[in-house]
Amino acid sequence: MAYADLREFLATLDRSGQLLTYSDAVDPEPGMSAAARAVANLTDRGPALVFENINGYEPGRSRVVLNLVGSWPNHALMLGLDKDTAIKDQFFEFARRWEAFPGPVERRDEAPWQEVTVGGDIDLFRLLPLFRLNTYDVGCYIDKACVISRDPDDPEDFGKQNVGIYRIQVKDKDRLGIQPLAAHDLGLHLRHAEERGENLPIVIAIGNEPVITTVAGMPLAYDQSEYEMAAAIQGAPYPITKAPATGLDVPWGCEVVIEGEIIAGEREIEGPFGEFTGHYSGARRQPVVKVHRVAHRTDPIYEHLYIGKPWTEMDYTVALNTSVVLYRQLKAEFPEVAAVNAMYTQGLLGIISVRQRFGGFAKAVGLRAMTVPHGLAYCKVIIMVDDTVDPFNLPQVMWALSVYYHPFYDTVIVPNVSVLALDPSSEPAGITHKVVLDATTPAPPETRGHYTQLVGNPEGTAEWEDIIRRLLR
Amino acid sequence: MTVNTTVCPRCDAENVRILTTSPVPGRWSMHVCNTCVYSWRSTEPSSVTDPPAYPPEFKIAPAEIPHLPATPAVPRRR
Repeated sequence: MAYADLREFLATLDRSGQLLTYSDAVDPEPGMSAAARAVANLTDRGPALVFENINGYEPGRSRVVLNLVGSWPNHALMLGLDKDTAIKDQFFEFARRWEAFPGPVERRDEAPWQEVTVGGDIDLFRLLPLFRLNTYDVGCYIDKACVISRDPDDPEDFGKQNVGIYRIQVKDKDRLGIQPLAAHDLGLHLRHAEERGENLPIVIAIGNEPVITTVAGMPLAYDQSEYEMAAAIQGAPYPITKAPATGLDVPWGCEVVIEGEIIAGEREIEGPFGEFTGHYSGARRQPVVKVHRVAHRTDPIYEHLYIGKPWTEMDYTVALNTSVVLYRQLKAEFPEVAAVNAMYTQGLLGIISVRQRFGGFAKAVGLRAMTVPHGLAYCKVIIMVDDTVDPFNLPQVMWALSVYYHPFYDTVIVPNVSVLALDPSSEPAGITHKVVLDATTPAPPETRGHYTQLVGNPEGTAEWEDIIRRLLR
Repeated sequence: MTVNTTVCPRCDAENVRILTTSPVPGRWSMHVCNTCVYSWRSTEPSSVTDPPAYPPEFKIAPAEIPHLPATPAVPRRR
């Protein structure tokens, strides 16, 4: 199932009872953020939220969408699955579709976002109902847009063209702050541009169908195209259109296309911003974007993302794309890996289920997770469980920890290794100890513990699960 | 309630200008500090618009700003 654009996905959510439209008047702050926070607090099966009457904007003409993929049913619908699909089944379906990478792209000359062009007198605050997300954010941010750039040293390489999600502070009507960390693909593009003494052209594409934003938040290899991955995950060619000023490829279906450039050599105060760790980021001097041109649909929809203490929509959008990356990398070396659940704070904590080959094997797999590319900045706490434990089922994981994990034998601490600087426990920022907690059954030559009399399911339990599931529908 | 339009709630600099106004006239104005780039809207609670009400842990002194770390660092020209 491929959604052509955000509007088509919203229609599917609406038909599935997963969209809530609020038509009463709201101030930009703090109502919309509070509503997004509230829906995440209440349930993991919540709807997307649409606000269509925002104080200061024409009712019905300026709409905000929040929490688009902020629940498991919405995540399943993004993948074209039944909305009740279990998390583990969504994980394996995501991993299966990856096999089709690289999928084809489809180039189109005309796109809906070409309807209106703004070349001069740009005021992003009038164009979009921007608003402060968390109380002590420094200002208004755009944090769910696809940011597109090319490598100035290799501008013709389509695979190295990057589509990523970066936090963007709207500092003025046509001036932005952006956070391309050195390890990010955009950080590498900027480095090459600044070494050449050139500004870096970028496009900020707002209001997309959900697969490209999910893929844009995925830790892909530097030369892997997000559009070709989106095609694989969608199971259909991904449509793209060239942005006129920069020549960068942007999603055909998006609502707004902002073209500009990161100014070489310039750094300016940015932040704080309430981050996915549940803490504010502090302020740093970061790069600046000058906006030159905007194109958009008539009455564009502003799709935005509330971020803060987990869980928020961000945790759903990166949950499986991060888990599947780790799963594939580990399974390439260790086929005994059954599944990976790395969806806690972007994978700062992960749970890996594995079939033990011999004593100490699970600990080795856990340590390996810390040295795959994503693990260098995450995987601070790794919990290892047997392949008979579903790592997406936390009661099962807690059971395994409570009865298989022995604090003396099953703790491996790795001192002073890298982690993302945003981890508030790191000291200095970016350095931490990491730990493997091995909650698998000891295997020979380890024979400790009393695990020979496991209580199994009564005969017929699996059939009864099907019967009860049918009766509950 | 009178809205603060002259002093930055975060860095207390008297270096504030109007950033923009509401597309539907008269509903709100937005203000920005030219020193620390903090911005606020006239309809927001006083906790983020009023300098004395702004919490000390989120304040910043203008003199600190040039010394904040640059991320990413600017590389040398080839």
